[in-house]
Amino acid sequence: MSSKGPPRAAHPAPSGGGGSAAAKPQAWRSLSTYWPALALVTPALVVVGVFFVVPLLLSAIGAFRAADGGFTLAHFEKSLELYTRDLVFTLGIVALSTVLIALVATAIAGYLTLGESPRAVAVLRWLYRWPLFIPFVVTGQVMRTFLAKNGMLNHALIGTGLIEPISAQSMLDWRGIVIAFVWKQAPFVTLLVAGAMAALAREHIEAARNLGAPRWRVLVEIVLPQVRGTLLVGLVLSFVTMLSVLSVPLMINPNSPTMITVDVAYRINTFADYAVANALCLLSLLVAAFGAAFYLRHAVRRAESGA
Amino acid sequence: MKSRMLLSVAVLGLFAATPAVAQTTLNVVTAGDQNMVDYVNNYLGPRFEKMNPGVQVRAVGTGPGDSGSQKIYEKLSAQQKAGAATWDVDVAVVHQRGAATMVGDKLLMPYRNDIAAGKLVSRDTAKNALGADVDGYVLPMFHSQIAFAYNPDLVKAPPKSFGELAEWVKKNPKQFGYNGVKGGMSGVGFVMGWVAANSGMGDKLEKGPYDPAAKATIEKSLTSLKDFNQYVVMTPGNAGTLDMLNRGEIAMGPVWVDMFYTWMADGKMNPKVKLELPSPGLPGQPMYYVIPAKAANAAMAKKFIDFAESPEVQADGIVKQFNWYPGIDPQYVQSKLEPAAWNKLFTDISPATLAKNGRPFPLSQYFTDIVEGYERVVLK
Repeated sequence: MSSKGPPRAAHPAPSGGGGSAAAKPQAWRSLSTYWPALALVTPALVVVGVFFVVPLLLSAIGAFRAADGGFTLAHFEKSLELYTRDLVFTLGIVALSTVLIALVATAIAGYLTLGESPRAVAVLRWLYRWPLFIPFVVTGQVMRTFLAKNGMLNHALIGTGLIEPISAQSMLDWRGIVIAFVWKQAPFVTLLVAGAMAALAREHIEAARNLGAPRWRVLVEIVLPQVRGTLLVGLVLSFVTMLSVLSVPLMINPNSPTMITVDVAYRINTFADYAVANALCLLSLLVAAFGAAFYLRHAVRRAESGA
Repeated sequence: MKSRMLLSVAVLGLFAATPAVAQTTLNVVTAGDQNMVDYVNNYLGPRFEKMNPGVQVRAVGTGPGDSGSQKIYEKLSAQQKAGAATWDVDVAVVHQRGAATMVGDKLLMPYRNDIAAGKLVSRDTAKNALGADVDGYVLPMFHSQIAFAYNPDLVKAPPKSFGELAEWVKKNPKQFGYNGVKGGMSGVGFVMGWVAANSGMGDKLEKGPYDPAAKATIEKSLTSLKDFNQYVVMTPGNAGTLDMLNRGEIAMGPVWVDMFYTWMADGKMNPKVKLELPSPGLPGQPMYYVIPAKAANAAMAKKFIDFAESPEVQADGIVKQFNWYPGIDPQYVQSKLEPAAWNKLFTDISPATLAKNGRPFPLSQYFTDIVEGYERVVLK
């Protein structure tokens, strides 16, 4: 996530350069300056290779391998036959959550930057980070009792007279999953965006305020365009994270339609069917790849512009 | 020189001080809910350790449902493939599907005839696990049963059969809840019961032979389940059904009898809620004690299971404390319990009803056809 990107090749090695290297041929010199960098990066590369790339490749191969070892597309056919609805549902839930997270994060970060009551800002700053430290599985558990038909939310709404007891309904379906995701991920994006907003030069904001612009206009027209990149990166990271969460859909709504992670766990646990599970993983990887491509393009652009 | 001698004397003394029996750790790995781990750690383990000085019982849980057994299977299978001389699991507690696969892959050791308690089992499940021959390799730890739990304040006359249930939900929409096939076995069991009742192939599902052509009949009965589902609530898991019953959000739903009684005993369940076992029946299943083929402490494992299957432990531990139906023949257990404790287990469901409507799960192949059919027909 660092904006610095990969280590710059132009940096000289901390030692060993010196006069003697200058006498050697150009190619040899560049290799010798690379050695320490290579040595430093090797352990990380090995870990990534052994624990991430190899399992990923094995999983990809498994998705195309028939029981007799030959090539087959049967696992994808089965995945699409049984789980197309869940794939669409997953995409819908995650997309909707991402939009809501953007709104919530912008609102909170905007108030932290433009709010005029120091006390309210301090309280909000203290409060909004709490969900960051709560694991997804706990979020799922909390929501399970909070959002139930006779749960705390409906009790509060009935108690305040906002709804009639008869119209209370359970939100332990797609709505529950969206609420849990937004509750958990909005603070993360807020943290990034609020940081970026705090780093902005205040002149534009103050000029706009002096000219009589209301705060929401300052937020939408002055502040937001300047932190757009950070906001998008935060959203892409949230998007990819939410795609991979198993605990929340499992605890709130494991029945159809459900998220693809539940189906992956179900294929393995009930049928020991790793092939279809692998195919489902590849399909969700495809979805995540859109996010990753977007993120990389943005990160590269920032690195190139020297930000 | 002198100090070295002193040191060796001290070392010798240290050895002499340790008890003659070497410390043995008996690794018990159990699938199932947390109550299974609690049972071994809090009940069985301490008693067995007291009787066998120098033995330490260590229980590990691998999680609920067939996936828990699947994890044990994968661990043993990996050790088999690696050619390990001894395996680090001494006793495993697994579901029927897991036991059938493990026997098929030669991962288990036959032991029933080696222990005294082996003669106390009578039910068919000691020999047959979902159509697979497991004779000699397993002893049922307990039997559990799925039944409808209902709130008598809301349901005066609970449906006695699946046919009556289908009528009932139309009159009382969103009052029946179950957890589908992806949220735990009580929902899976309900689906099995539905298919057995509506496909007209109940007996064939349990006894075989397997006929792939029956898929069409199965899927036809699932079509009516799709219609049924419009009138019911989907709950989040086995515990989710109990939760919703307790909060009054549903009036009826399928639950595991032992979980139900445990929740009741812990004060987590409305004490008015009752059980009903409808006709033609709902499935139940045992959990099995098994010993891996190359268990490091096989002799001690046999001793442990013999103890766990003794009428005293089955009476006090399995029935009285954990509300399971006994794994061995009830006649040996009933005499060890006062009538009140025994009757508590049969308050709502009589032994006769249990014998008639307590069914085994279908054969593995039918099981797979039914849950996949559910995904194909009901969830689409």
